[in-house]
Amino acid sequence: MADPVLAEMVHATGATESRHYAAVKPVIQAYRASWVKLAPFRDGPVNASRVTVNDPAAMTAQIKAKAMELGANLVGVCRLQPQMIDLGSEVSHEFVIACCVAEDYEKVLHGPDDVEEEAMRTYAKCTEISTAMAAHVRDLGYPAIAHHNGASEVQAIPIFYQVGFGELGRHGSLINERYGASFRPGFVTTDLPLVEDRPREFGVQDFCMNCNVCQRNCPGDAIPQDYVMTHGIKRWLIDLEKCYPYSRLREEYCHLCVDVCPYNVKSHPETYKALMKERKQVGYKTPKTY
Amino acid sequence: MEKLYVNAIGPDGEVSTVGLFYSQPEAQKIVDMLSANSERTGYRYEIVEAVRHVLSEKDSLRTRS
Repeated sequence: MADPVLAEMVHATGATESRHYAAVKPVIQAYRASWVKLAPFRDGPVNASRVTVNDPAAMTAQIKAKAMELGANLVGVCRLQPQMIDLGSEVSHEFVIACCVAEDYEKVLHGPDDVEEEAMRTYAKCTEISTAMAAHVRDLGYPAIAHHNGASEVQAIPIFYQVGFGELGRHGSLINERYGASFRPGFVTTDLPLVEDRPREFGVQDFCMNCNVCQRNCPGDAIPQDYVMTHGIKRWLIDLEKCYPYSRLREEYCHLCVDVCPYNVKSHPETYKALMKERKQVGYKTPKTY
Repeated sequence: MEKLYVNAIGPDGEVSTVGLFYSQPEAQKIVDMLSANSERTGYRYEIVEAVRHVLSEKDSLRTRS
């Protein structure tokens, strides 16, 4: 286990593997196998005949259209900055193309099994998109590497923030005004000349200061009241020791903090209201299956 | 488990929290990696007890009682 906190907690129970990961169903195993299978194709030969890019804005529009055609719900571009790269890794490319695939909110509310299947489906889709996009950019004659669940050297949240997908929420995930935090990432780093998007702030951090719905519903009390500052951005640092008993040490997935986020209400008003009614009935901090 | 923040202190004195870590060796490993990063010269790092998380635990308990 790469995560030292999880490893210590699992070993304390006398087990060798997290119950959550040990109990995966065949459909989940198939999704995981799909990104392992695509990992060797993250990088590849670059077309020696390079397309000249006279208009980076037009090229950016073309790249975004291609990613949408492949199934991305959001696509953005920014310059690759040091804080976006995993510590100890090196990625020398100038730009990063960020794609996301949204989860089906109606589906994830059916329960932990459906949440997990939907999460894995979207991760697998992001893997396909980023792999295909990297190959497309290499065909244009520019180096490009896909970063996804199979293998990655980049950090999702700082990139998603920089390309304007949203702002960091209290539950530790990035919130988009349309998809809430119910979406998964895939990336391509490249030297293809592109035009950057900009961060977009639409009041999430101020809203989270007073909302507390995710905190009130978290079964493990893992979402803190207080925040820290990182380069001018508020971050509520999730306490993994409190989160993992519900998200990793049980067989079932936990996605409650994302499900109850009021930023889901805009796109799914009736479903969200029904969920919150149910949460009130079961007692807010009750895990999803009870 | 211990709870520790790693803070980065910039050349202008601005304190920026790198993250929450759960043991001294884990926090120190991050500090060593960051200190070795040539793009972060001018920064110094500190490891401090995550006191604010302790406070929020108390707040949370008070809310539930």
